[in-house]
Amino acid sequence: MEAIRNAFDFTDLPRGEMIIAALALLFLLLFPVLPHSSFAMATMIQFLMFSLYGMGWNLIGGYGGQVDLGKAQYVGIGAYTTALLMIRLDVPFWYSLPVGLALAVIWSFIIGYPLFRLKGHYFAIATIATSLVLKDIFEVWNFVGGARGLEIPLKGNLPNWLYLQFKQDYYYFYVLLAMFLVGLIYVNGFRHSRLGFQLRAIKDNENVARSLGIDAHWCKIKAYATATAFVAAVGSFHACYNFNIEPEDVMSLDLSVLIALMAMLGGAGSMWGPIIGAAILVPMKSYLGDWLGGKAGMAGMDLLLYGAIIMFIAAVQPRGVYGIVEALRARRRR
Amino acid sequence: MEALAVQILKSLVSGLLMGLVFALVALGLTVIFGVMDIVNFAHGEFLMIGMYTTLLTSPLLGVDPVLTLPLCVLVGAVLGLLCYHGLIRFLLRGPMIAQLFGTFGLMLFLRNMALLVMGSEPRIIHAGWLVGKSFAVGPNVVLESTKLAAAVLSVVSFLVIWWLINRTKVGRALTATSLDAEGARYMGISTERMNALAWAVGGASVAVAGGLLVNFWPVEPGVGLLFTMIAFATVALGGFGSVRGAFVAGIIIGLIVNVPPVWDALLRTIDAVGLKNLEIHSLKYTMVYAIYFLIMVIRPQGLFGWKQ
Amino acid sequence: MRKVVIFAAVALLAVCLAPAMAWSAPKEIKIGVIYPLSGGAAAAGRELRAGAELAADIANGLIPGVNMTMAKNAGIKSLGGAKIKLIFKDHQGNPQLGADLAKKLILDDKVVGILGCYHSSVTKTVSAVAERYGIPMINGSSTSPDLTKRGFKWFWRTTPHDKWFTKDLFEFLSGLSKGKVRGVKAVPKDQISRLAAACEKTEWGSHVAIEIASFAKEYGFTLAANILYASKSPDLSSEVQSLIAAKPAAMLFASYTSDAILMIKTLKSMKAKPKIIWGQDAGFDKPEFVALGDDVVGILTRSVFLPSVTKMKPLAGQVNALFIKKMGHDLDGASARAFTGLQTWVHVLEKAGSTDPKAIQKACNTITIPGKELVVPWVGIKFSTKGDEIGQNVLGGGLIGQYQKKGGKVVLEVVYPFDIATADMIFPLKGY
Repeated sequence: MEAIRNAFDFTDLPRGEMIIAALALLFLLLFPVLPHSSFAMATMIQFLMFSLYGMGWNLIGGYGGQVDLGKAQYVGIGAYTTALLMIRLDVPFWYSLPVGLALAVIWSFIIGYPLFRLKGHYFAIATIATSLVLKDIFEVWNFVGGARGLEIPLKGNLPNWLYLQFKQDYYYFYVLLAMFLVGLIYVNGFRHSRLGFQLRAIKDNENVARSLGIDAHWCKIKAYATATAFVAAVGSFHACYNFNIEPEDVMSLDLSVLIALMAMLGGAGSMWGPIIGAAILVPMKSYLGDWLGGKAGMAGMDLLLYGAIIMFIAAVQPRGVYGIVEALRARRRR
Repeated sequence: MEALAVQILKSLVSGLLMGLVFALVALGLTVIFGVMDIVNFAHGEFLMIGMYTTLLTSPLLGVDPVLTLPLCVLVGAVLGLLCYHGLIRFLLRGPMIAQLFGTFGLMLFLRNMALLVMGSEPRIIHAGWLVGKSFAVGPNVVLESTKLAAAVLSVVSFLVIWWLINRTKVGRALTATSLDAEGARYMGISTERMNALAWAVGGASVAVAGGLLVNFWPVEPGVGLLFTMIAFATVALGGFGSVRGAFVAGIIIGLIVNVPPVWDALLRTIDAVGLKNLEIHSLKYTMVYAIYFLIMVIRPQGLFGWKQ
Repeated sequence: MRKVVIFAAVALLAVCLAPAMAWSAPKEIKIGVIYPLSGGAAAAGRELRAGAELAADIANGLIPGVNMTMAKNAGIKSLGGAKIKLIFKDHQGNPQLGADLAKKLILDDKVVGILGCYHSSVTKTVSAVAERYGIPMINGSSTSPDLTKRGFKWFWRTTPHDKWFTKDLFEFLSGLSKGKVRGVKAVPKDQISRLAAACEKTEWGSHVAIEIASFAKEYGFTLAANILYASKSPDLSSEVQSLIAAKPAAMLFASYTSDAILMIKTLKSMKAKPKIIWGQDAGFDKPEFVALGDDVVGILTRSVFLPSVTKMKPLAGQVNALFIKKMGHDLDGASARAFTGLQTWVHVLEKAGSTDPKAIQKACNTITIPGKELVVPWVGIKFSTKGDEIGQNVLGGGLIGQYQKKGGKVVLEVVYPFDIATADMIFPLKGY
């Protein structure tokens, strides 16, 4: 009961944040009825997906301070479970989603247990390695379609809520928005939860946390598994949204890095950080690419600027954009 | 049986050569990490820039590609210094994750700069002392001259770096910085300058590797990524910051990726048809990462690492 | 802080509220073209773009004197001389981005149809979007056999796919044993029956590997090694050692450019001596590969267009000359197929006489374009409407070319189909 009350308790946030969050929520709810281009809609869906990825990553990477660069493997597990069940056994999305979550979480325990023996950079590089191993195996495993991937067949008579197949994107948008709100409420509860406090203690000083009787290893694994659930859920959604999945697409190193990057640039360890990061980087990437990519002689210009901005933020304010906001607030208070 | 023995010999030789190449590429990474605990995502891009340096300057100066190597050293060192003073200095204030992503941004920046300037086509060097040369030793064991040269360079570089760190005053200052930066500052060591030096040495060593590798490998803006992941695994396996560890780990990885032909020869010898469909070739890097993971779980600080 | 936030909110709103001002001129037909203009395949993207642009210029009557029907109309005659306008989008080899761009083209730019996308993986997601919105899509250059096995109603493909190309190879090898190849006496089959293949392990290469294995069985060849390797690998020496140890007469490859170069260099340094080396287009058909010079002489590659086609097709010669004027080099497999893809669009629109998707769908399903209109050496273009392949052009065909040295320059000569061979084949390879 306590946990549920905590999850819906946003009252400890500064008033300014509450107002902005409410306005942003209103904007999101109304977005499909506002006049918009379809590219803006597609970008919004990407934004919601990456916010959710980032929120998940933030649980272990932000609150726990463990730099995880292998989240894509769980995106893949979620996506592949949904796609396989749908193709082979004709199972609707809503039933395969929990199955995918469960599989991903089980796998995260198997991987997480040895993984958390490592610390710091060793941990970061090892997460990359585990993700690459799983991707490589999927690429040669014929049961899951190998490198050729899986394609979900189109059902007739759209919209089809059971299989999550729609013609118009706003259906996907609202499904994802619902997932986003559930995620947000969960993260809000996580902030006040026992595990949340334990993790922050571990991040500040693991030895001290241990001496206080916190089982650091087990705490990290729990947070890692929770993060995995977020990521796998979005993976399941991705399979239905994209109709086609390949290891190269859903399990790539690029995706792992992007997930962590957005959360970190927004501000790791804060509730709004990953959302802010996704809100800045996703539109920037889409529109820079759209604006410059098609131009002759400008190949690479968009990613070049993108890289420059990442360097700039990382150098100026290591705690990300939310860190800048906090610094400004602190200055005003003074 | 004889075919199998020959194949094992061949694989040992090419694994050793390739391992030394991997070690050479990883050397700069481990030097930089050892001094200031930063994993440089843009490491492969330094390699790429070294490759382009040789590719472009060799016809321009009208000399053999091998003779442009000193220039690569210069370019790499300058680039390392630029990166340190322009970016890394600021990143050092932040947590580990900000450092990772700062260098990730640097990687995107350098790679796409190359794409913008050079285009995405792979380019090759057509003529040179090392280009296209190879010689056979004993029973069909082929030594490729570029790889052999890179292996020699690798051994030499490792000896030089080892000497630099263990036998010179500067090296002792570097070690002091890496063990306890604050303490080193109290002792009058300019850690700022030590950090810059590490970047210069790291950049130079990987750029010179690039300048040599371009005699055999085609170069394109994305070429760095092929080597970066291997270099990461090499450095982590050997133990971050351990020069000796990178050397040994490089050779281990080189040997692992040369297992598939032995496996094939074994199957042919014992005629095991049922095992033929194992996709061992496509999993050769998977084996590297899997073995790396297993070793790390047993020894969390790497083979020769001292810090966790 | 409030200022920052307000600024961000306003900026976000501005971005979202700016729908592309969809205003279509009455005399303009918009075709959305999605190609990899940046990223790893940017070089191919440049060729593709140039090919499509050249075809559009010819169709719009900007370039006179080309001997093809669409050049004489200056626009689409049945639509009152409406001009073709291409809207290029860059998918960077990313399937998700490709799908988003397809939506943008369909909903914001209101294109009549889509042309693209080169990478089979991107074509898959883009065609799924086109299918959902009922917008016709013509694909000129993706060769995954899966694409036309999905029963899509709004997807047509002009190029032959990998199954055909691989079949061509085995027809060629059988022909070699029967003495059908120009300039080569019949080679006893047991001398060339041992094969070894190495394909890159992503979507495309793993498909090719499967096709090679099944055709080898069907045609009675022994596949002594069938290797899948990690594309963009830093080292191929272990793969090459296994290939050589299999002692094959012919080595077959499906590789992208940098792998293809590294593969040939490694083969050379390991002193491999196969009688035949065959590459499945892609890396084996790129100028950077040809730059290896003497090392590629004798190597076979499948393609759909080789510059020597111009010797037997004057029309191809005309277009090729225009292309050289535009880009400074010959048409290649990518640009010729992009050209043909857009040309097909022009013919389809002409036949449909309307921009209504239904009319275009009908036109696609019934159109026949004779081979004499095309730059590629095909019998023509006609899409299948039933059976297990829907929307596949059934009149296409592949070529096998061989790199030969003519007057100090490495050129590609046609060796298959046998009846249009442009030179004697070099057999066996001289080995390294």
